[in-house]
Amino acid sequence: MIVFDKVWFSYGIHHVLKDISFTVGENERIAILGESGEGKTTILKLILGLIRPDAGKIIIDGEDITNKTEDELREVRMKFSIVFQEGALFDSLNVKENVAFCLREYSKLSEDEIDHKVRELLRIVGVEQAIELMPDELSGGMHRRVAIARSLAACKPKMFLYDEATTGLDPVNADIICKLILDLSKNGRGLILVTHKIFDAVKIAERFMFLKDGIILFDGDKEELVHSTVPDIQIYLNEVSFSGKANKSGG
Amino acid sequence: MKIKELISELQDFYLLSARGLLVAVKKPFYLKDMIEQMDYAGAGSFVIIFLVSIFTGMALSLQLSAELSSLGLKMYTGKVVGISIIREIGPVTAALVYAGRVGSGIASELGSMILGHQIDSLRVFGVDPLKKLVTPRILSSIIMLPVLTIIGDVVSLCGGYYIAVFVSHQSGTFYWSSIRDVLTFENVFAGSVKPFIFGYLIACISCYMGLSTKGGSKGLRKSTTRAVVVSIVMIIVSDFILTRILLYVLGFSV
Ligand SMILES: Nc1ncnc2c1ncn2[C@@H]1O[C@H](COP(=O)(O)OP(=O)(O)OP(=O)(O)O)[C@@H](O)[C@H]1O
Ligand SMILES: [Mg+2]
Repeated sequence: MIVFDKVWFSYGIHHVLKDISFTVGENERIAILGESGEGKTTILKLILGLIRPDAGKIIIDGEDITNKTEDELREVRMKFSIVFQEGALFDSLNVKENVAFCLREYSKLSEDEIDHKVRELLRIVGVEQAIELMPDELSGGMHRRVAIARSLAACKPKMFLYDEATTGLDPVNADIICKLILDLSKNGRGLILVTHKIFDAVKIAERFMFLKDGIILFDGDKEELVHSTVPDIQIYLNEVSFSGKANKSGG
Repeated sequence: MKIKELISELQDFYLLSARGLLVAVKKPFYLKDMIEQMDYAGAGSFVIIFLVSIFTGMALSLQLSAELSSLGLKMYTGKVVGISIIREIGPVTAALVYAGRVGSGIASELGSMILGHQIDSLRVFGVDPLKKLVTPRILSSIIMLPVLTIIGDVVSLCGGYYIAVFVSHQSGTFYWSSIRDVLTFENVFAGSVKPFIFGYLIACISCYMGLSTKGGSKGLRKSTTRAVVVSIVMIIVSDFILTRILLYVLGFSV
C-alpha cells in the first residue's frame, strides 16, 4: 500500500532521511523504532503528504503523491487516520467538539446523532466522562485517548498511523492504549506505530524497522529482531529483557 | 542567500494574501468561524477604541485651540480637528490599536496551533487551513476595522467637542456646523478607504507571521512581535502612500 522509493529528506542542511526505501502491505502491523530525532515523525508526515521529499518517490496505492496538490492529497489522506505525537487536539474546542470535528465537516448528521456518535467513540477509548472538558484539563493518557477517538471519527481509514502513542504514559495506561490499538486493527486494518519504546512495540507490531542516522538499519519480524546483532538494537533489547525480568520477579 | 530568502518569503506572503481573499467565494463557507472572529475583533475592541479615540480627540482639540487662539483663529478649531481626525488620525489610530490587539492575537493563536500540530491535523482531516483560519480573519478584519474606525471618528469628534466647548469656550453649534462642512465626499471617501486596506494588511501580515512560526515558545514570541511591528510600520507607510494617491485622485493640489 505504501512504497518509499529512494526517499531523501532534509530540513535545511540537516539530512534527516537518506535514501530510504521500503514497502508496506495493506494490513501489516509495523513499528518504526529509533531514537529521538531520527526522523520517525518525518516519515509519517511524508506518508500523508504534509511535507515533500527532496528526492525519491512515495507511492500510495499505486499513485505517486510527491507532486500532488493539496486538493488532490485530500483523497490520499482520507485513507489514513493519524494520532499525532502530542495528540494535537484543537485546544480551543472541548473534547466533544474535537471528536465531532470530522463528523461536522463531512457528514450531515443531526445534533443528536453527532452526540450519540461522539459518546460511542469516547466509550470505545474509555473516556466518556471527559466529554465536556477542555483539552488542557485532561491528563496525558486521556489526551492520547481522545486523540485516538477523534482519529476514529475520520471516515473509514484503511490504515492507522500512531506517533508515540504510548510515550510519556505510565505502564498501566500505556498497556491500555496498546490493547486499544490492537483492538482497533483487529479486522485486518494495518497500522504503523512510531515509537522509541520497544517494549510497547513488540506487543503490537509484527514487523519492525529500526531507523538510525537517516537509514533503515534493520527491517524484519520479531524473531529476527530478538536475535539481531546490531549494537544499537541490542541496547533496546536489553531494556525489554530487563522489563521482562522485572515483570516476572514482580509476579 | 539572505535576499533569496526574503524574496521567497515575500512570495509566500503575496500568495497567502491573494488566496486568502480569493477562496472566500468557494465552498465550504466557515460562517461560524467568521462570526466568532468578528465578535473577537470588533466587539472585543470596542472599549479600547473608545478610550483611545476620546483622548486623542480631546488632546488634539486642546492643542489646536491653544495654538489657534494665539493666532486669533479659534473658530477654525472644529474644521482642523474634523479634517485631521476623519482623514488621518482616526483611521491610523484605529488601525494601530487593532494591530496591537487583534494582530498579535491572530499571530499567537495561529502560531501555537502550528507548534501543537493542530494545523497539520486540519490538513489531515482534509480541511484547508487557509480557508478555515485565514479567510475568516481577513474578511472579519476588512469588515470590522472600518466599523471601528467610524465609531472611533465619532468618539474623537465628541471628545474634541467637549474641549472646544467646555474648556476653550467656543460655540457648540458652530463646532458641529464646521464639522458638517468638513464631511464632504472627498474627505469621507479618503477616510473610509484607508481602514479597508489597513484591515486587509493587518490580517494578512498577522496570519502569515503566525503560520510561519517555528522554534517553540521563543519562536512564538518572535512571530507575535514581528506581526505587530511589521503591521505598525506597514500601516504608517501605506497611510502616507494612500494619502498621496488619494490627494492626487481627488484632485487636491499640495
Ligand atoms: N520543522 C522542523 N524544522 C527543522 N528541523 C526539524 C523540524 N522538524 C524536525 N526537525 C529535525 O528533524 C529531525 C527528525 O525529526 P522527527 O520529528 O522526525 O524526529 P522523531 O524521530 O520523530 O523524534 P522523536 O522521537 O523525538 O519524536 C530532528 O533532528 C529534528 O531536529
Ligand atoms: Mg516524533
